[in-house]
Amino acid sequence: MSSSTASETSRITADRDPRPTPPPVRHVPKRSLRYMLLAGCVAAVVWSVWGTHIGLASLIEGREGAARLISGLFPPDLGGSLLSRVGTAVAQTVQISIASLVLGAIMGLPLAVLMAANVNAPGWLSGTARSIATGLRGVPELLWGLLFVATVGLGPAAGVYAISLHAAGLLAKLCSEQLEAVDPAPVEAMRLTGAGRTATALLAIFPQARANIASQLLYQWECNIRSSVVIGFVGAGGIGQALGIAMKLFRYQEMATLLIAVLVLVIAVDRISRAFRGRLGAASHMTNRTLIRQLISWSRR
Amino acid sequence: MDIRLAGVTVDFAAHGVRALDDVELSIAEGEQVALLGPSGAGKSTLLRIILGAIQPVAGEVRVSGLDPFGGSRDVTRIRRATGMVRQRDDLVRGLTARTNILIGHTHGWRPGDWWHVLRGRVPHRHLQRLHTLAVRHDIAQLLSTRIENLSGGQRQRVALVRALLGKPRLLLADEATSGLDPARAAEALAHLRDADAATLIVTTHDLTVARQFPRVVAVRDGRIVFDGPELPEEAVADIYGGRPAKVNS
Repeated sequence: MSSSTASETSRITADRDPRPTPPPVRHVPKRSLRYMLLAGCVAAVVWSVWGTHIGLASLIEGREGAARLISGLFPPDLGGSLLSRVGTAVAQTVQISIASLVLGAIMGLPLAVLMAANVNAPGWLSGTARSIATGLRGVPELLWGLLFVATVGLGPAAGVYAISLHAAGLLAKLCSEQLEAVDPAPVEAMRLTGAGRTATALLAIFPQARANIASQLLYQWECNIRSSVVIGFVGAGGIGQALGIAMKLFRYQEMATLLIAVLVLVIAVDRISRAFRGRLGAASHMTNRTLIRQLISWSRR
Repeated sequence: MDIRLAGVTVDFAAHGVRALDDVELSIAEGEQVALLGPSGAGKSTLLRIILGAIQPVAGEVRVSGLDPFGGSRDVTRIRRATGMVRQRDDLVRGLTARTNILIGHTHGWRPGDWWHVLRGRVPHRHLQRLHTLAVRHDIAQLLSTRIENLSGGQRQRVALVRALLGKPRLLLADEATSGLDPARAAEALAHLRDADAATLIVTTHDLTVARQFPRVVAVRDGRIVFDGPELPEEAVADIYGGRPAKVNS
């Protein structure tokens, strides 16, 4: 305790009534304020629907184009040469997703450790880590993709860099929440032995959160597969790039085959990831608070 | 280690509670003291202050001349010389009993020790003492078992071995025997008292436990209401406010 603070707090304590003070009363918004908030929300929804021209009319207007596109998809092209190209594109998509997961984890996990409040990293360091993570996930993968295609050129490398940067930002946020949700008792016990921050983080916090972090990484892998399909459209490799080319050249039957491949790939990855996550049993250790936070984070993606 | 608390006051502002009120306490090196009192009396808070985990709003704390709130160097020295066993389960789930015991003594680890311990091995300098303590506390067969697969009593014994492994100069036991059956509790208490620790402070709400100590400090509502070698019956009534005190038969 610094001397000035000690003397100040002593004085405060001496002046203070020794009886327990009642807990502060929670401020409840008035009914009129609630109605105003509700009206504001309704106005925002009406404004958004009106501004984007969505509705049945626009769908009816586009019915002829949709019919032409759907009829063009059938029958899907199952020619040997196309299937071989699709296989290569699928393999490249899986490569992009795994490489970007590894790169994203290498960047994101140290940021997560620095950001977690219970690690007690110095303020300037955790603040910097938080800003970097916010910056990384604040820029959409598509934008990162455009930037990397412009700098490193067309191809899967651009896709890996783009997805891994966004994934690092997301993993940093979600994994830091997993680290913060661990049981605080072993963490305090470890600190009371005189252990430093690094030892406490690695030996008392991380082991408790590792199942949930592994689960998070598997979920991120699923997301990377979907992202690699999307950013392929801007030339960042994989099945997305093949889909973009087929679309631009109006090769609808080829597009149908690629869409089927995307669907099969996403379902397969989802199954594999779910099976692994089930084995980890991470969800059972998750607190309700973490689960709700995660659902909100995922819904914002 | 000797301990001196002068005019220590602790407020938990969030709960509007004064946990300790102008506490004066001196414990000499080598003394064995029982801190007796009902739940919420401030016993655990007192122990946490000694380790610099809770900052008092007023008063002075010294542990062997070191100030637990005077800087990270002092507090680290105090903590490294202390062993603590708590009632609350504070072992790391997902790790084995052996790893849990060893990670309580990370100071002085060489880079190779990290890899060694995480692979389930014991650094050479801890080998003999860990073996002796594990046998004495009947956990030798459990060292490779994960913490979540142990019973409450077994976990408590693991925590006890963790506290004793580093030959602490100060041993703090916060209701450490409450999770054990009477025979195990008596045994654990005997081990605590026989430990090489120079100073021992045991918190308890059990009169039987407290009466085994040469000095009893009774706490009620954050104040010390008795400090002496033998607790008289009228003091017991005062500590528990007329409620019957817990006595293990």
